[in-house]
Amino acid sequence: MAICTVYTTQLNPTCSSISTPSKPQHLGFHQNQVVFYKKTSNYKRSKSAARPSYLITCAAAGGDSQTVVIGLAADSGCGKSTFMRRLTSVFGGAAEPPKGGNPDSNTLISDTTTVICLDDYHSLDRTGRKEKGVTALDPRANDFDLMYDQVKALKDGVAVDKPIYNHVTGLLDPPELIKPPKILVIEGLHPMYDSRVRDLLDFSIYLDISNEVKFAWKIQRDMAERGHSLESIKASIEARKPDFDAYIDPQKQYADAVIEVLPTQLIPDDNEGKVLRVKLIMKEGVEFFSPVYLFDEGSTISWIPCGRKLTCSYPGIKFTYGPDSYYGHEVSVLEMDGQFDRLDELIYVESHLSNISTKFYGEVTQQMLKHSDFPGSNNGTGLFQTIVGLKIRDLYEQITTSKTQTPAQATKA
Amino acid sequence: MIEKKVKEATQVCEGDQTSDECKVAWDEVEEISQAKADFRRKLEKEDPLESFCQDHPETDECRVYDN
Repeated sequence: MAICTVYTTQLNPTCSSISTPSKPQHLGFHQNQVVFYKKTSNYKRSKSAARPSYLITCAAAGGDSQTVVIGLAADSGCGKSTFMRRLTSVFGGAAEPPKGGNPDSNTLISDTTTVICLDDYHSLDRTGRKEKGVTALDPRANDFDLMYDQVKALKDGVAVDKPIYNHVTGLLDPPELIKPPKILVIEGLHPMYDSRVRDLLDFSIYLDISNEVKFAWKIQRDMAERGHSLESIKASIEARKPDFDAYIDPQKQYADAVIEVLPTQLIPDDNEGKVLRVKLIMKEGVEFFSPVYLFDEGSTISWIPCGRKLTCSYPGIKFTYGPDSYYGHEVSVLEMDGQFDRLDELIYVESHLSNISTKFYGEVTQQMLKHSDFPGSNNGTGLFQTIVGLKIRDLYEQITTSKTQTPAQATKA
Repeated sequence: MIEKKVKEATQVCEGDQTSDECKVAWDEVEEISQAKADFRRKLEKEDPLESFCQDHPETDECRVYDN
């Protein structure tokens, strides 16, 4: 996208002008063209310093470098996950599969965002994997060269023909055309596995579900299905664990934000997995990302909002915040244990959090209410997913404004 | 299909719990279960009135008066 910036200082009546904005205006074009347009005013130089002039400079700043790429590492489930729906909702608009294309496509497209499922880069289909004896978690089942080439192309503003992995049939379907969006999210098992792909990411998130919670969620998901039993669900998790620990789990050290979901500590011996303890682990020193904090940045806080001003029902809500070290990096950890029962609990908590990048008071609450039917809407998973969505929006806006400022030039002739 | 895959996986794993074939079999079960869950969710969301009204907003059933 070409970025044009129009700067004016004063208007000279002897010059013709296209527009008279008082602040820089940004015009966008959709072709990859470098257009240089310069118009300077004609007037005699005089001794006085202030002379009206304007300069329009259009520069294709390194192609469509406004495509921001976000990586999300999550186990099984692509593009249709709750996190993705919350994320796309924060940016605005509902994300849907491409219309008129393959009905089994994993891609989601909204006005601003395109979500690509990394399963589409499987080099082996289901039969192929069975023959070679590799699971989908194994890097050998994925084509990282193609992944890197295509993500790089999209980041540079070039459309790509991306293969489709059909989860229903287990086959690789003919490719679909993906046009470069403003925000590209790559979701799957290995967004941060390959170092080249990792370097393309502007922000990365790892969703770390503990084994107990994973088990509880899979039970909820699968128990209604004929053919499944507690044993089969357990066996499935156990069998996948070695590959998961070897290939997927290590990616969390590279993530800028990790959302860790654990069983609650508020209810002794709770194994239903209904009440959750969720940690938002945020890396310090990431460009354009300022970690969320509670009360006083960098200190250690323990906070129970329920009390005189706010009444909560059992088991209540508990927050902690503090600095920590995670795989050798400095991080800030914000943790929520418990559940929200009522709207005022949510707004109360929101009003005490800082650096949440909301555009107006109550935006987090509003987003959570908008999707109150999504799982996790009453606990830390929904809260932190929504907050991460807002931080990504903030990151996107910072990146785009910083990129438009570089080619801008204002001259006074 | 899930039933079949689960049976297959249990059979394959009877021999060696840590073999590659066992892992792949259960991985397949996981993939299919997830696909089924997504499919179920997609179906659940299909409110016949909503989809009808999207196409015919002017009909009596779908008229909305915002005052």
